[in-house]
Amino acid sequence: MIRGACLCGDVTFEVDAKPERAVACHCGQCRKQSGHVWAVASAPRDKVAINGELNWYAASAIGERGFCPRCGSFLFWRGHDEPTIEFALGALDSPTGVTLEAHIFVADKGDYYEIADDLPQYEGEEP
Amino acid sequence: MTKGRCLCGDISFETAATPQGACACHCGQCRKQSGHFWASAYVAKSDLSISGTVKWYAASEAAERGFCPRCGSFLFWHAHAEETISFSLGGLDAPTGLTLEKHIFVADKGDYYEIADGLPQKDQ
Repeated sequence: MIRGACLCGDVTFEVDAKPERAVACHCGQCRKQSGHVWAVASAPRDKVAINGELNWYAASAIGERGFCPRCGSFLFWRGHDEPTIEFALGALDSPTGVTLEAHIFVADKGDYYEIADDLPQYEGEEP
Repeated sequence: MTKGRCLCGDISFETAATPQGACACHCGQCRKQSGHFWASAYVAKSDLSISGTVKWYAASEAAERGFCPRCGSFLFWHAHAEETISFSLGGLDAPTGLTLEKHIFVADKGDYYEIADGLPQKDQ
C-alpha cells in the first residue's frame, strides 16, 4: 500500500494499486502551482482512497487540480474524461517504491534549470 | 523587473531588486507542499510587492509558507527571523533571468528521482 499526506496532515490518501506513469511535468500550469516542476504517478480512481477535504481548481476545461485548503499542498490532478487520478510523488511516505520514468511537456519548461538526467523527454504528453 | 503570479492570477508579485540565492529545496516540507521539490530565490521583504490575498501556513515555528487559496499555488516562504522573503521560480514570467545555483536539504530528498545537473548539493 502506498500512502501519502499533505504538509499539515489534514488530507491523507492511500493507493491500492501499482502506480503507473511516474513523470515530472514541466507544463506552465504545473510549474506555477507547484513552484517548480510537478512529479506524479497515476492509478485508477477507485483504487485511491482520499481522506479529508480538498479544494479543486480547474485551470482548463479538461481537468482539475486538488490541493489542501489549509496548507496548500498540491496533491492531485484528475482529467474529466479519464478513469485515473494522478497523485503527487512529493507527498508520498518513504520508501515510495516509485521511480521517475520521463519528463513531459518539456517544450514548456522553465528557463532557469536544466534537465540533466537520462530519462526520456517528451515535448507534450507521453506518446 | 522580476514578475510572477499564481496559476489562477488572483495573486501577482514583482520586485525591482536582483533576486538572490536561486536554489532547489528538497526538504520534506517543501516536497509535500510542492508535490516534488521547490525552487525559489529571495529578495528583501520590503522590495517585494504582492497583490492579492495570500494564505499563510506555518509548518514550523520558524517560518510560514504562502499560497493562493483559490488555486493552491505555492508562492512564498518567509522566516520570521529574516528580513527576506523567498518566492517560487515556477511562478515567474519568462524570461526569468535566473539560473539555479544549488540544491539544498538534499539529505531529505525523495527516493524516486536523481539530482544529475552537477550543481552544488548541500545536506541542509
